[in-house]
Formats: sequence, structure tokens, C-alpha cells
Amino acid sequence: MSDVTRSMEAGAAGVAARVERRRRSMPSGWWGMALLIATEFTLFASLIASYFYLRFQASTWPPAGIEPPSITLPAVFTGILVASCAPVYGAVRMARAGRRPAAWGLLAVALLVQGAYLGLQLWLFVDDLNTFSPADTAYGSIYFALLGIHHVHVAVGLLLDLWLLGVLAFALTNYRLIALRVIAMYWYFVASVAVLVLLTQLYPSL
Amino acid sequence: MAIAVPREAGPRIERLERIWRERPGVMGWLTTTDHKRIAILYLFTSLAFFAAGGVEALLIRTQLIRPDNGLLTPSGFDQAMTMHGVTMIFLFVIPMSIGAFGNYLVPLMIGARDMAFPRLNAASYWIFLASGLFIYGGVAAGHAPTAGWFDYVPLASKQFSPDSGIDFYALGLIFNGISSTAAAINFIVTIFKLRAPGMSLNRMPLFCYAFLAVSFALVFALPALTCALLMLEADRLLGFQFFEVARGGDTILWQNLFWIFGHPEVYVIILPAFGIATSIIPTFVRRRMVAFPLVALAEILVAFIGFGVWAHHMFAVGLSQVTTIYFAAASLIIVIPSGIQLFAWITTIVTGTPRFKTPLLWIVGFIVLFIIGGLSGITFAAIPFDQQLTDTYYVVAHFHYVIFGAAVFPILGGLFYWFPKVTGRMYHERWGQASFWVTFAGMNLTFFPMHIVGLLGMPRRQYTYPPDMGWTGYNVIESIGAYVLAAGLLMVAVNLVVSCFRGARVGNDPWEGDTLEWSTSSPPPAYNYAVIPRVTSPYAMWDREDREADVENLAAGEKVLEQGHETPAVTAVDAEWDEILEMPSSSPWPPVLALAISGVFAMVILKQWIAAGVFLVAAFVVLGAWHGKEPQEA
Repeated sequence: MSDVTRSMEAGAAGVAARVERRRRSMPSGWWGMALLIATEFTLFASLIASYFYLRFQASTWPPAGIEPPSITLPAVFTGILVASCAPVYGAVRMARAGRRPAAWGLLAVALLVQGAYLGLQLWLFVDDLNTFSPADTAYGSIYFALLGIHHVHVAVGLLLDLWLLGVLAFALTNYRLIALRVIAMYWYFVASVAVLVLLTQLYPSL
Repeated sequence: MAIAVPREAGPRIERLERIWRERPGVMGWLTTTDHKRIAILYLFTSLAFFAAGGVEALLIRTQLIRPDNGLLTPSGFDQAMTMHGVTMIFLFVIPMSIGAFGNYLVPLMIGARDMAFPRLNAASYWIFLASGLFIYGGVAAGHAPTAGWFDYVPLASKQFSPDSGIDFYALGLIFNGISSTAAAINFIVTIFKLRAPGMSLNRMPLFCYAFLAVSFALVFALPALTCALLMLEADRLLGFQFFEVARGGDTILWQNLFWIFGHPEVYVIILPAFGIATSIIPTFVRRRMVAFPLVALAEILVAFIGFGVWAHHMFAVGLSQVTTIYFAAASLIIVIPSGIQLFAWITTIVTGTPRFKTPLLWIVGFIVLFIIGGLSGITFAAIPFDQQLTDTYYVVAHFHYVIFGAAVFPILGGLFYWFPKVTGRMYHERWGQASFWVTFAGMNLTFFPMHIVGLLGMPRRQYTYPPDMGWTGYNVIESIGAYVLAAGLLMVAVNLVVSCFRGARVGNDPWEGDTLEWSTSSPPPAYNYAVIPRVTSPYAMWDREDREADVENLAAGEKVLEQGHETPAVTAVDAEWDEILEMPSSSPWPPVLALAISGVFAMVILKQWIAAGVFLVAAFVVLGAWHGKEPQEA
């Protein structure tokens, strides 16, 4: 009993880091996020399966009149998102060591990169919308739906970052440390799905 | 087994009472995070929807009582039939079994003081309520869906269902899915992290295994439905072409996605009932379940294999022969885990010393009905037979034996079994037994003749039938049966309502039950257990030494955790004590969040995109406020 830690005591960075080190198993928040990722991943799996289902019902893909997607820009942008996982990982390391300012700084860097990624992707999205429409063919429908739903996941991640930066500016508690860990997991998920979405979208050009 | 509370524990219990007390009155119910109060909210809400679904069923049966009846118009019949299916599945059985039974009992059975995410739990309830009101809002506005609960395109596409009924269905189910996903995640984390220290996975009650399996099934099944519904709404609201064949879309895509969700959903409906059966049987036959590990595995296997059989709903679609044969074979495999459970239940009853009180009667009824429904289910794996009988009343008979017989009967049995725990009073035994027999007779009168009219070729989902088909007599019996069934259910309701006020008072453990919930008072206090229980087997209440150890711990102040709103967290498999969690207490934000999300969906259906965006921003602001108070600041 006496060797069991109380989460309520962890109201400051050093204590939170100590609680974190003494924990033998994954905290509830970790399980919650792992399961959210499992269900969201299944959503993307359903969408990607639908993409290929529609593709194999069609004789030409993309349909006549639509250019196959260009490779360079989407690939570079996805690379940027994957790279943003590095500062996220660094922020978690710093927070687990009880170094709140360093964690805050790294997370801010990550937010800037991720924000830039979403901005560039939205620009590309609008550009695509001007070339072909989701309302003309099933190819357009699944193309824009897959991309759009991924962008929504990135936007949600940005909101999570913003909230986290807001609270981490004041203190690092047990609650916020777990939040940082699971939001980092969320970003690893979003980045890995970005690669899968990219490969699916680029498949007609590969 | 009555164990007195030691006098020294008085001040500690007072302290726990003070820490865990919630606000009184309506505000208390609005802001509650107590899993037991949330379960009671779920119970009454899902019962209200059960009544609505029941009225729809009676409308259907009254319309079909004679040929060429004009009680309902064809469109009115389609509305009643669609809403009956949607209501019973999404707004009654799932919230009743998972929301009410799971919420009330899972934390109690594992010796926890709350769910892992208490505020999320409250949000699940409010979002479920809002989604139900949203769907019925469509009905009230004269826009009920008419394309059946599986809502096949192209019938459900804009061209053939131009009014917004389908939009209420599709958006309402996405809305409802948020609630179910959150609840499922909450159960898994609660079961993995909040078990009483010492309750390693092999010491966990079978009831909890069933809920674990169901929750995993929901986590992986719902996204396929969400995906299908998003595509349908993109088609209907934004002019996308997912299901428009002329533009490269495909209607079978809907069927695949729907049933990838829909078949696991069948097991989501039925597995909690299995869990209830495995709780009631040991108590009333006074012996442990035989083949405990096999039954636990079978519960999980049913949920798992359920993901590989979806196309057996589509044998008449024209899939390739190989696909059809594969899915028929896979469907037959489900017989194995189902058989394991059936034989385990029957063997436990036969080798025990059964007391045929009302709860056990419902379970025996369930076993009989499940065998009939299961056998008619196996017949569908014979592909030519399925192709003959699909879309006839034979199918309706089969799935009502499985859903009403095998899912609702244990729910009713569970209502009687845990009634003394929740209310502290006993129901009326003879009325209880009488209501079972009336319901059992009504159920068989209603659904058994459907096998025969199905074999005679009567198609389902038709608003009427001509007089010279030879179906009339059977339909009369079915309709009379439906009223007998309703009378039986009314008897259950009257018994329980009257007993709430006039039943004899009972102590902690009127049944000599097997699981932990019987060790605490009836009804349980807000903190569930004054001392974190010691657990050394899945039948914790039958381990007398452990319960005596609890009393000693309480007297000595060990494992009481009265410093705050606290509960232990353990390692996931072995349940070694890892930390003491400070749990969030009452919060006003979950119902406000549900309101904001309702705003989003309402504005989407009105195509007010800007207003929808405003509500979405409001939802995120609410989430920010929600997390503004951390548990340790409570």
C-alpha cells in the first residue's frame, strides 16, 4: 500500500515525472487513446478498402478526362508531416524528464510544422477541386472524401496541440503528462495514416 | 451471507459519504458521473424507446391481422417497420444491455468505484439520448425513414427517397455511433485498468468477459457503418457519386460496408445477454459454471468470428460462387463457440440444484429460444435454401427468436435478478413467474408461425397480402400473439413498478449471489465499496474468507482510500496494484457537449453549414472547459 503512488499528488513537473517513472503499466489514458486510434484506423481501412473496391469496378482509373494525381508535392508534404513526429517525440521525452519549458518549446515547433502541413494540403485540395469535382464521378468522390477526412484528423490534432500548449505553459501535472503522451500517439497515428492515404491516392500514378 | 460493519469504521464511512456525495435534485442527475445513476438514466431512456418500438411492432401486426387491411398506408407501414428495427437495435437493446446493465454492473463486479472515464461515461449517455431524440424528431416532423433498418441503396438514395427521412436515419446513426464508441472504449479501459487488485484476468466474472468482447466488437465494427453513412450523406447532401452506378459508383459497396458492421452488431446485441445468463445460472443452481475458461474464450471467439461472416446476408445478391461458399462455411464455424456456451449452460443447470425463481425461468426460456433460433440460423448456411427463403418471413422468424428470444429474455431475467440490488426491495415472485409464461407464450405465438408462412413464400416488408394465399390464419395467430406478448411485458412493468414502492425490503444478498455486487448494500453507496475488496476467484462472494478479510480491513482502515475521490488502478493482466487514481467528480459539461453536437447535426440536416460550423466550434469550446478542471483539483 505505502509503495503505491497517488496520482493526485502529482501537481508539479518533478512529481509528475516521478509518478510516471514508477508506473508499471500503461495508464488509463494510454488505453483510451490506443482504442480511439484502433477505431479511427478502422475507419480509414474502410475508406481505403472502398477506394479499391470502386477502382476494381471500373475499367479505367481515374476515369477518362481526369489526370492521374501528381506525385511530387503530396509526397513532400507527407514527408513534412512524418518529420513533425520528431519534435513531438522530443517533447514527450522532455516532459517525462520533468523539463516543462523544453517540452513546451518542442511541442510549439511541432505545431508550427503540422500547421504548415495542413495549410499546404488545403491549398492543394482547393487546387484539385478546381480541376475535377467530387460530384462528377465515384473516383472524385472517394478521392476527396479520403483526403478530406484525413485533413479533419490533422485539424483535430492541431486543436489538441493548442490546448496542450495552453495548459503546459503554466504547469506540468500527471494529467497533462499523460495527455502529452497520448496526443503524441495520436500524431504518430495521423502521420502513419497519411502515408497510407498518400500511397492509395498515388496508386494510379505509381 | 450477512457481515456486520465494524463500529470503528463509522468515521471512515462518513468521510467516504461526504467525498462521494453528489448534488441533490435535478442538477445532480444532469451533472452526475456516478456509473449507477448513469445506468439508471440509460435504463429509463431505453425503456421509453422500447415502448415506442413496441407500439410500432403492434401497428405492424395490427395492419397484417387480415388481408388487404387499410390501417396503415404503404408508406406508413414502411415507416413503422423501419423505425421498429432502428429503435429496437440502436435505441433499446444496445443502450439497455451496455448502457444500463454494463454501466451498473461492470464496475461493481470488478470491485471498482467508477468507470475509467466517468465524464465520458456521462457524455455517452447524453449523446445517446440526443441521438434518439434527433431520430424521433424526424418522425415527429413527418420525416421518418422508410428504407428498412439496413437502408439499401439505391432505394435510400436521393432519387428514390427524396424527403429527409433517410438523412435523419443516417446522421442519427453517426451521432449514435459516437456514443456507442465512447461507451465501448470506456468499458475496455475500465475492465483492463480498474479491477480490484488481485482480480487477474482469470479471476474476472464471465459477465465482464462478455462486455469486454462486445466492446471490442463495437470498436472495430462501428467505423464501417460510419464510413457507409458518411458516403450516403455525401451522396445525398453534397451530390457525391459513391452509390450512383452511372458515375462509377456501386450499390453493393453499401451492402458490404453495412454488413461488415451489421453482423458483428448481431453479436453485440446477443453477447451481453450471454453474460447475464452466465451470472444468473450459477446463483440459482448453486454451483460454478462448468468449463469457465472455454466459456470465456467462446464469448470472445463469437465476437471475433462475427467479423468474417458478413456476406451471408448477401447470398441472393449475385456474388461469385467462391465468395458465397466461403461465407457459408465461415458462418457454420460460429456454431462451435455458440455450442460450447449452450452446453456449458445446460450442463451447469443439470448438474446443479436449480431453484426455478423468475430470473432462472427467463434464462431457461432464453436457452430454449436460442436453440430454436440457432437451428433456423444454421439452415441459412445451406446456400440454395437461403436463396429461396431470403426476404421471407422465415428470416423474420429466425432473427426474432435470436434477438427477442436470446437477447431480450436475458435482459428481462436480469431486470428481475438485479432488481433487489438496485432498489433494495424484492419483486413479486408469482407475478414474475406468470409474466414469464405469458411472454414466453406470446413470443412463440407471434414468431413461430412466421417460419411456416415464410416457407409458404410470404415476403417480409410488404404492407399487406391478398386473401387467397393461405397465409391469413397464421397472420391472425401472429397478431394475437403480439398482443399476448405485449400483455406479458406489461405485467413485467407493473410488477417492477409496484415493487419499487411496495416490495419487501431485502438485505445485501437475497440470492446468495456469486459476484461482488452482492457484498455491498442494496442499493450500493456512491463509492460502491467502503473497502477495496480482496479477490481470489471469479466467484468472489462465495469466498467467505475474503469477505471477512474485507471487514477486518475496514476496521483497520486498510484499503479504504478515504483521502479523496479515489479508486485503485492495476496492471492490465495480473491486476497488481499500480497506483491510486483521483477520479473526476460531477461535471456540467457532458450534457452541454451533447447539446452542442445536436446543434451540429440539426444544422447539417437543414443545410445551414455556417450555423453547423458555429455549433462545432461551440463543441470544442465545451471540451476545453471540460478539461479545464483536472481530477486532482476537484
